[in-house]
Amino acid sequence: MMVKRPLVSVVDDDESVRESLPDLVREFGYSVRAFSSAEEFLASDSLGETRCLILDIAMPGMTGPALQQELTVRGRSIPIIFITAQADEAGRLRSLEQGAVACLLKPFSDMALFEALNVAFRAH
Amino acid sequence: MTSAAVSCSPGRRVDSLPPRHRESTTSAAEDRAATSAGLGIAEVAAMLGGLIRQGRPLPLVLTTMCQLFDATVKGFSSIVLVLDRTGARVRNAAGPSLPTGYMKQLEGRRVSWIETASGATINGKTPVIVLDPVSDNLPESQKSTAAAASALRLHEVSPILSLTGEPLGIFAVYQHDGNHNVTRCHSALIQQFTQLASAAIERMRSERRAALLERTQQLSSTWCFSWHVETDEISCSREFCQLFGLDPADVPVTLELIGARIHSEDLPPFHEMIETAQSGVSDFEFELRLRLPDNSIKYLRVVAHRTRDQEGQLEYIGAVQDVTQRRRTEEALATLRAELAQAARVTSLGVLTAAIAHEVNQPLAGIVTNASTCRRMLAVNPPDVEGARETTRRTIRDAERASEIIKRVRALFCKKGATSESLDLNDVTREVVALALSELERNEVIVRTELAGELPPVQADRIQLQQVILNLVLNASDAMNGVDDRPRQLLIRTERDEEDRVRLSVRDTGVGFEPQGVDRLFNAFYTTKINGMGIGLSVSRSIIESHKGRLWATPNDDSGATFSFSVPCGPRHVSNGVTGAQRLGARVSAVTSAEERPMRSP
Repeated sequence: MMVKRPLVSVVDDDESVRESLPDLVREFGYSVRAFSSAEEFLASDSLGETRCLILDIAMPGMTGPALQQELTVRGRSIPIIFITAQADEAGRLRSLEQGAVACLLKPFSDMALFEALNVAFRAH
Repeated sequence: MTSAAVSCSPGRRVDSLPPRHRESTTSAAEDRAATSAGLGIAEVAAMLGGLIRQGRPLPLVLTTMCQLFDATVKGFSSIVLVLDRTGARVRNAAGPSLPTGYMKQLEGRRVSWIETASGATINGKTPVIVLDPVSDNLPESQKSTAAAASALRLHEVSPILSLTGEPLGIFAVYQHDGNHNVTRCHSALIQQFTQLASAAIERMRSERRAALLERTQQLSSTWCFSWHVETDEISCSREFCQLFGLDPADVPVTLELIGARIHSEDLPPFHEMIETAQSGVSDFEFELRLRLPDNSIKYLRVVAHRTRDQEGQLEYIGAVQDVTQRRRTEEALATLRAELAQAARVTSLGVLTAAIAHEVNQPLAGIVTNASTCRRMLAVNPPDVEGARETTRRTIRDAERASEIIKRVRALFCKKGATSESLDLNDVTREVVALALSELERNEVIVRTELAGELPPVQADRIQLQQVILNLVLNASDAMNGVDDRPRQLLIRTERDEEDRVRLSVRDTGVGFEPQGVDRLFNAFYTTKINGMGIGLSVSRSIIESHKGRLWATPNDDSGATFSFSVPCGPRHVSNGVTGAQRLGARVSAVTSAEERPMRSP
């Protein structure tokens, strides 16, 4: 019987990321779904299933931190790995304070992501 | 200064002397008999005339005159006072026979003119003044010299007048020895001397005027000339010649000679101007460039007034001014303005750099991720070659995407002329929002857009319009810095404007501005930002105006301000090959391959 791989959801408005990241995360042994916006993710049926969220910070419409807030409000504690192209120290700190597992700066190495995923799944 | 004039006491009047207006008809013997030096009036006059003609300094001439008089007319001493231009003060005083102290204190004294009771004036029009060492009000310190002078009795006073009747000076005669009398020929001498003094003073004044003219010409780099049209001859100064790089020895100066110096490009308008001038129609004024033998360039400004010379022939009198320095400054200023405009684009660099980094990091992240995946796929047994191939394809595509971004950025910052294309203002707006998004988010600004559907295209330079919209958006964001009591809202709206135009407005809820301060906002150097250069709005306005549009600002009713511009609609179709928007970043929803996307040449 095939063990169901845990679902990791990638939310990023950037197309490059949505194309490349899922394949890498699959290599790590997870199953992956990609969404182009926070709204899309919230409206999807993956919401309940997602064991870990890889989330872009800056997005038009609902931002990454805003989604984080929304999930807290909804009582969903999904571990979040933030990824961002902007080196905003204050923002980074804030998101970590809000309970994010990690905040990676693009471009990040595969090892950095691997370790972040380990932390996310170990804690849960 | 106390007034030197006083009413005269009748006893001193000229009535006791033979009337001066009578022609001097002395015999030579009478003449010589009366003089102690043995010189005749004619000879004395000739001597003085010679001094004047030789251009001797005025003080020398007048002192000599007095000396000659004093030597000639026994028992009498003379003084000559030169008046200033107003005729109200003594400028210089010559009086070799009188005490120096007395002479000195005469200088600078106010002179007033009074009517005389009797009509014993030279020409019936000018009143006569009276000076008296005895009755004059002198300060204590000078009373001793006055006492010495009081041994003299004022005998006679003659005004020295110009040819036009202006008072130039005063010739006064004092008697120091009562044993002598003034004879008729002495009176004639006084008359002669008065006239000579008049000539000398007039000469001095005209020399002074000429010197002043010379000096002012030099100061203002302006040189006068006159141009006799018929003979084409030009009268001018040496410096005028030098201005044109001509040798002053090359007389006469003609238009032809000058024409040889004129910049070849300015020759046709020059000839045209001359032709018009030769018809004597009106005054003229123009600017032109010279190219001198040493290849240097001078800018000249010429102003000329049409007139007739003394023979009634057409003549122009005018001035030529060397405005090279001014033109060079203006050119430098224009260059500086262009550079500032360039700098204005670069001012957004800080923000742009962040935006660029952001944009470039996306494909870079893709490259790293894809390559990492590729490596892993090849490391398993058996290797996932198909997967590796796919990640490699994506890697190449992302690299090209990054390269494209750099190209676009280069295009933004290279100094090239404006290119025009048919644009959808909505697309341009979306690009700018994408660019500025991170900055806006950092400033916690909520962006909303209300972009009209079916917006007609505009014919414009894409980069320039991006610059303008970015400028407005960033300004709006800055205006909301520090606003805490209300949401920081930015609204960008596009719509059709009347008469076939398209309008874009950027509305904020920031600090706003006073309606009367609106002009200042667009001033090239006005800024409220600490590190701002304040050039953005001024340059934005000129960009819009160069697109035949209009940029303006109005304060909002509630809070903040709205900056809007409207530009005319362009041709109906959007140029093909551009699918909706050429994006600076990679935030596209549809993937297009690099070959499909047209490359803009930097």
